[in-house]
Amino acid sequence: MNRAIVIGGGSDALVAAQVLARAGREVMVIESRGSSLEEGWVPPQVLRELKIEGLELDWPDPWLTVPLAGGGRLELRRDMARSVEAIRRLSTRDAERWPEFCERMARLARFLEALYAAPPPDPLGPGFALRARRLGRRGLADLLRILPMPVAELLDDWFESDALKGALGAAGVLHLLQGPRSGGTAFRLLHHHAGSPRGVFRPPRSNILELLRKLPRVELQGTEVLRIAVEGGAVTGVVLKDGRELAASLVVSSVDPRRCLLELVEPGWLDPELVRALRHVRRRGVAARIRLQLDRSPGFSALALAPSLDYLERAYDDAKHGRVSQHPYLEARCDESHRMEVLAQYVPYGADCRDFSESIVALLGEQWGDAQPQHVEFLAPRELEEFEGWPQGQPHHAELSLDQALWMRPVPELAHYRTPIEGLWLCGPAMHPGAGIAGAAGLHCAHAILGR
Amino acid sequence: MPKHDAIIIGGGHNGLVCAAYLARAGRKVLVLERRERIGGAAVTEEVFPGFRFSVFSYVVSLLRPEIIRELDLPRHGLHILPLESTLTPLPNSDYLAQWNDHDQNRRELARHSLRDAEAYDEFGLMLHQMARAVKPLLAMAPPDPTSLSFRELLGMKRLGEYFKSLRKEHFYRLTKLLTMSSADFLDEWFETEALKATKSASGIIGTLLGPRSPGTAYVLLHHYMGELDGVFRAWGFAKGGNGSVSAAIAAAARAAGAEIRTSAPVAQILVKWGRAIGVVLENGEEIRAKLVVSGADPRRTFMQLVGEKHLPAPFVESIRRFRFRGSSAKVNLALGELPDFTCLPGRGPHLRGAISISPSVAYLERAYDDAKYGEVSRQPYMDIVIPSLIDPEMAPPGKHVMSIFVQYAPYHVNGGWTDARREALGDTVIDTLSQYAPNLKNAILHRQVVTPADIERIVGLAEGNIFQGELSLQQMFFLRPVPAWAKYRTPLRGLYQCGAGTHPGGGVMGASGRNAALQILGTA
Repeated sequence: MNRAIVIGGGSDALVAAQVLARAGREVMVIESRGSSLEEGWVPPQVLRELKIEGLELDWPDPWLTVPLAGGGRLELRRDMARSVEAIRRLSTRDAERWPEFCERMARLARFLEALYAAPPPDPLGPGFALRARRLGRRGLADLLRILPMPVAELLDDWFESDALKGALGAAGVLHLLQGPRSGGTAFRLLHHHAGSPRGVFRPPRSNILELLRKLPRVELQGTEVLRIAVEGGAVTGVVLKDGRELAASLVVSSVDPRRCLLELVEPGWLDPELVRALRHVRRRGVAARIRLQLDRSPGFSALALAPSLDYLERAYDDAKHGRVSQHPYLEARCDESHRMEVLAQYVPYGADCRDFSESIVALLGEQWGDAQPQHVEFLAPRELEEFEGWPQGQPHHAELSLDQALWMRPVPELAHYRTPIEGLWLCGPAMHPGAGIAGAAGLHCAHAILGR
Repeated sequence: MPKHDAIIIGGGHNGLVCAAYLARAGRKVLVLERRERIGGAAVTEEVFPGFRFSVFSYVVSLLRPEIIRELDLPRHGLHILPLESTLTPLPNSDYLAQWNDHDQNRRELARHSLRDAEAYDEFGLMLHQMARAVKPLLAMAPPDPTSLSFRELLGMKRLGEYFKSLRKEHFYRLTKLLTMSSADFLDEWFETEALKATKSASGIIGTLLGPRSPGTAYVLLHHYMGELDGVFRAWGFAKGGNGSVSAAIAAAARAAGAEIRTSAPVAQILVKWGRAIGVVLENGEEIRAKLVVSGADPRRTFMQLVGEKHLPAPFVESIRRFRFRGSSAKVNLALGELPDFTCLPGRGPHLRGAISISPSVAYLERAYDDAKYGEVSRQPYMDIVIPSLIDPEMAPPGKHVMSIFVQYAPYHVNGGWTDARREALGDTVIDTLSQYAPNLKNAILHRQVVTPADIERIVGLAEGNIFQGELSLQQMFFLRPVPAWAKYRTPLRGLYQCGAGTHPGGGVMGASGRNAALQILGTA
């Protein structure tokens, strides 16, 4: 009965499983499908704890290519001087401001990184206050002002070039049913920036999942959990799809908390207030995914198509009223073998997407010149829910808005990974820090279980 | 030695409140008002013969009870008449009414949704708890979280202790409320669209944000914090219009010895060696004082009256970034007869309350969509009252005045505000309202349209923002108007701010004026 079961195959689940196994637990991981979530930054604590070596980061340079309205491209690179030169062609004022902007955002990103390296902070605790103080006077003022801001206002404060603001603003609304003029989207941009060097506002991809799956000590089972068995308020095991029942005194779930606690568990075990809070966790998928193979290089490795903040906002307007964006924002990445993955936003869950895939390929076609696409695979949020298990197609399981972040992620009552059911714990993208930060929620969850 | 202890720039309600408190403490106070009348945006004017209007602000609720009490405003002529209901007419000729009477309200809600009728009381209780949790903060000079001075650290510690003293659930709920959108917040409680829309409309007033934008839930709470006779969310009319609120405060100030001069526009704040030493009027008259307190908005105070050259560059930059973006207009109508609503024909108690044109959240969002791109909403949100039904002295016998608050009418409208645009806005409002009350067009005797540009020109509020600056999360509490200068002080010694551009912000609240006075007197 000392067995621990970890549900899910993402990096959080695997990290939690490894930490528990290393503490002497017998651990079984049950995954119904290999996670294919684009894993972003891997916090160094995760690598250190599991002594993982051989992490490869895929960080294209230029990290972003932005097509310009009048032809030509803006290429943003890790090399500050080259980015400044590129921006100078759009606006000398913006070029002069770029280094300071990057410096001030990086400072806040370092602050977030520190918060993400630990369980959710206590907003009233001395540790949080001290850490915030260390940002210095201007840094702290920046933090307080910028976190709740719309990303559009932040960028309007600094820049005048529509192309630059559109490309940066896009990172503020990624996987959010919000437009750049909505509050809290500046935080989303900073979240995206965490783990990246100064001046890079797109997280890397890595082989972390591959590395985690290769680690020994943990048994992986490819099946699905139907139900989590609870007796007398404590977890007793899981019931699998194939009918098998596995006993366990500890179950760690990386399934989205709403499904985990309202569907896998008898909701009768929970306080009605908590049930209500869970029902209102927002997890609306907004991006469709297109994968395709090109026969030659498209001439870029990372491309953002969001020509201005107004363009993004109008794309959001459609989604807000339940329609697919007429002019969507596209974010494309292409690897060395010309495999391309495109995110197209906004596609509300369940909206009519006829002809959408073709229009995206046509839009991108203007950027990739003579290359020919093959094997186009289009998945709208509804299909992503089915094939990837993302609730309503939302890869973060709970939207990363300010009211669902930090000590409120996914709801304040569950922020510390523990559930009211004894032996049932939560990790996964819906838990702090979650949302594209690989393994950290798993690490904090396992530490909480082990009382560290 | 200067003759005056303090000069107060602007005879708006906050300036008058500040003057009254300073005068009561024995200071020699001079209030300088630019216009020929006091009150700022809280004025009553006879715009058309026999018809009196609260031209700008039009209801009372947020005025702090401690101010009413301490300045003994009822003795100085303040008399508040309650608003009993809110009617939301719907396009399908139905309506949703909210009544102050508990049972009547419950029956009406149950007609739309039993679930909402059930949830309503609990919702009210929860908001009440939140309002109570925030209330002590309203009367506080926000500490500077970036400072390491002993005084400010102590202030932060006290603030932390205050939050710790709240029940944990309440604190969490408050942090969520601060960061949520009003529509998401209401989605957690109700299902009736008209109810959600009418309530979430409180969250967009005075901002250029839609009900689905995070940060608007707090504005909703801000509007809920009005207390009349100890009851939260009680709204009322000042007898004689909102000008009588200003008149009562002015009477209290005068009784305490303050001098109030109208038609005395200040052109400049005199600065010598980093210290404010007085003001120069537009006619060249120089008046010296130990202190200058500005009730004007931060942009006018610092960029115009003081001038950049006297201020540190980062401060100027922050003031430049302070956002105004006025988004609302007023239409004031003189009516020959009462409007006849299709959903509730004839004269009835529903006309004595507020009438809200907010049939659904999507309606409000569409109204916002137009404004985002610089257009007036084609179908705007409106909050309407008919003061003459409650206070007959506002209009000639048998006739009426109607006050329509309109949103969104962005200050930064494409092509700028012109006379033609102003009239087009008036037409849009009348056309929209006529869909619900078809007799309206024929009932109109006179019409006054006040655009954000008019508000700026007449009252002096930058960009016509009714709160002297948007009430968004990044411009609140210790960030209002700029970080490190939220304590009513300024980088210039001897210069203070007391307008709604400081914490806790706008609405005819008076808290900024009171807090500023207490800071100046050192008794906060």
